[in-house]
Amino acid sequence: MAHDGVVLEVDSVSKSFGALAALSRVSFAVRQGQIFSVIGPNGAGKSTLFNVISGLHVPTVGRVRFRGREIAGFSPEAINRLGIAKTFQITNIFPEISVFENVRVAAQSRARESGRLASLWRLPDVEAGAAGLLRAFGLDAKRHELAENLSHGEQRYLEICLALATEPTLVLLDEPTAGMTPGETKEATALIRKIAAARGLTVLLIEHDMSVVMGISDRVAVLHFGEKIAEGAPEQVRNDPQVIEAYLGPPEA
Amino acid sequence: MSRAVYARVFSRWAVIVWLLLMLLPALPFMSKFYLLLAFDALLFGTIAMSLDLLMGYTGLVSFGHAAFFGLGAYASAALLERGIVSLWACLLLAVLVVGLYALVVSFFATARRGIYFALLTLIFAEVVYTFFRYTQTFGGSDGIQGVAAPRLVGDVAIDSPLRNYYLVLVYLGLAYLACRVLVTSHFGRVLVAIRENEDRARFLGYNVQRYKMAVCMISALLTGLGGALYPGRSAFATPDLMLWTVSGEFIIMVMIGGLGTLAGPVVGGAFFVLLQEKVSSYVDWYFIVIGLVLIFIVLFMPRGLLGIRDLLGGRRWRTTA
Amino acid sequence: MDYVVAVLLPQLLHGLVFGAALGLLALGLTVIFGLLGVMNFAHGELYMLGAYAGIAVIGMTHSFWAALVVAPLAVGAIGALTEVTTLRPLYRREPLYGLILTFGLALVFREGARQIWGGDMRRIMPPFTGSTPLLGMTYPNYRLFLLVASSVLLLAIWLFFTRTRAGVLVRAAVQDAEMLDGLGVNVPRVFTLTFAGSAALAALAGLLLAPIFTVYPQMGVEMILLAFIVVILGGMGSMGGSVVAAVVIGLAQSLLTLWMNPQRVAIAIFTIMIVILIVRPRGFFGREGVLE
Repeated sequence: MAHDGVVLEVDSVSKSFGALAALSRVSFAVRQGQIFSVIGPNGAGKSTLFNVISGLHVPTVGRVRFRGREIAGFSPEAINRLGIAKTFQITNIFPEISVFENVRVAAQSRARESGRLASLWRLPDVEAGAAGLLRAFGLDAKRHELAENLSHGEQRYLEICLALATEPTLVLLDEPTAGMTPGETKEATALIRKIAAARGLTVLLIEHDMSVVMGISDRVAVLHFGEKIAEGAPEQVRNDPQVIEAYLGPPEA
Repeated sequence: MSRAVYARVFSRWAVIVWLLLMLLPALPFMSKFYLLLAFDALLFGTIAMSLDLLMGYTGLVSFGHAAFFGLGAYASAALLERGIVSLWACLLLAVLVVGLYALVVSFFATARRGIYFALLTLIFAEVVYTFFRYTQTFGGSDGIQGVAAPRLVGDVAIDSPLRNYYLVLVYLGLAYLACRVLVTSHFGRVLVAIRENEDRARFLGYNVQRYKMAVCMISALLTGLGGALYPGRSAFATPDLMLWTVSGEFIIMVMIGGLGTLAGPVVGGAFFVLLQEKVSSYVDWYFIVIGLVLIFIVLFMPRGLLGIRDLLGGRRWRTTA
Repeated sequence: MDYVVAVLLPQLLHGLVFGAALGLLALGLTVIFGLLGVMNFAHGELYMLGAYAGIAVIGMTHSFWAALVVAPLAVGAIGALTEVTTLRPLYRREPLYGLILTFGLALVFREGARQIWGGDMRRIMPPFTGSTPLLGMTYPNYRLFLLVASSVLLLAIWLFFTRTRAGVLVRAAVQDAEMLDGLGVNVPRVFTLTFAGSAALAALAGLLLAPIFTVYPQMGVEMILLAFIVVILGGMGSMGGSVVAAVVIGLAQSLLTLWMNPQRVAIAIFTIMIVILIVRPRGFFGREGVLE
């Protein structure tokens, strides 16, 4: 049961691979319309957390609830169909088809024909939605290019387009600005914020670069060695001594 | 709203070529021998095309298509041998038998990705081969010989090379149409997405295994139907039709013609049949030639001998602006 | 009790020998697959070439032992040459192409062997005859030699992969081929040597088994199919898994022959594979995440 506008609830989730505990008893709740960021140094368990939420891994212990519904153990495709879309840290697109076809195939996942017999002969018309997304990310002019020929930054945007095309209510962004220059990063975060607001999306974002999340997050949680060590508003987290020590390492000059 | 199927599928070139093939038997040198050769060329071309659904569009290599082909042939021959000579009964039984077998194969073969599919289809096919070759239920190594010609309706038997040729030409036309519809549909787009990036497709909400199973079944059924036409031309079905080298030949046909083009593999299949006919009558080391051709294509012409893939647009989907 | 000693025990030993030879093949397949991303369809043909190269060397030197040294080296050289000329250009391409290419290679090797040596069945005489009393039965000396030789070989391979730097490196690369780039290793050379090595192992298996089987151009086909089953059951990419699966399949094959004809055995083995895949979809030692 959804209460207080909680969209996603991660409830004392642990995940271990053999002897290695990647996550231990991590809990947090993401509310409707929030941009919620999970930060932590590399190897803190952020990607494992995403893989658990998006259905790649089954948590060893704990629950994940989406809109009040238990989703831990669902397959990635089932979770996507419930309205959770994910982007990947390493760009993950369809390289040898056009930019437009990339978004089209994502968008038609929500068409009426999808998964039905009629999909064998019908081609749903999802082009308006796909074109709109490309426009929003400034990829309109490159729609006929093969996706593999886009620049790195453009591929990152295409990646987000793919996720959004499946009409999610919750988007999981895995280091969306990885590999971007500081200028591009700034532009990208502004764009993400704008589009999330326009579409009424809830965003869960993971990032190891703390400066990226400070500007756009409503709330931040910090992971360290698989445990949540802090959660709160960006300012609050930034000044948390435990975070400074654990996350930023020994005090620097 | 969904697009009219007609506009997506219609190809003027395909229609022209098909009509020209209608006229082929009128050529003066078309003896019975050449008609049967043309039959083989079109039959194997069609089978290569249906394999292209897997190889070119979905990125799955089946090393077991000979079993689908052979099972179709046996289904048909078994009926003809027992005096049930309706072509439609033969086709129906082929669909049932091949469909059931393909369901089992595709379930296991699509459970994991990549090379796994090739290995499992191969192993399954070898078991079918072994069964037909070494048990006497269906004639052992001799198979089923000397069966009657199937009848289209009433007393109209498909008993001449000419009638067989037209039968396979109609089959090619219908199968091509079916494949075109498939690859330009919602389904076809998802297949390409799976070929390009299977994981991503899953995270977009597609049940990848179900799509793979479906395309495997469709490809198998088209191949099995082709097999069901074979005893009408040859009057036999033997286990040799299911040898794994036959599966390999289907793959070679697709590679020669060009992956992911449908029309390419039809040409590739026809080319292969003609090459086989010509080369094997001159040299007895024919398989070396075939092997070298295959190696050469993979290394230097991955887009097919005729470069047809680029000619027709191939992988690059033309998007409707 | 008589049945056990006279029938079951020898068959069990046959199974072990066959399983060990199969293990050599499957191990080669697994290592190449893990390292190069190519499922080598021509591996059975390398096995076949080992036997024929042995026949050629025996013809010249009249010594089985000379053949046992020269034939694997010769086939290893063929493997190295093949890797450099045909497989190397494919490493950056989709695995589909590697599979198809090695299928072409298999055709060329098989037909080449038929052209050179003819299609007839041939035999290699075992280098020594006679039997030894063992556990209450008598067992042919050559088979005993095989049992010892293949165990020693597998042990040596195990030591190579666990005790030598080169072995540890290759083993790590089988798990994660990309790590090699980061170690400043000459990657192409590692690939070529690995391919040559597994070709030589396949050839050795072919030659060792030749005195108890027959030699003919298609002999690799049957073996490669079994080896594929072994690789799948072992968990695709697990080296230990493929050896264990090879011994299981070898024993099953050998014991089942007691109760049914060889063709039924093939179907029975296959049934075993299906059952195992239903119970354990990833084989004996398949890891989560590999290939799925």
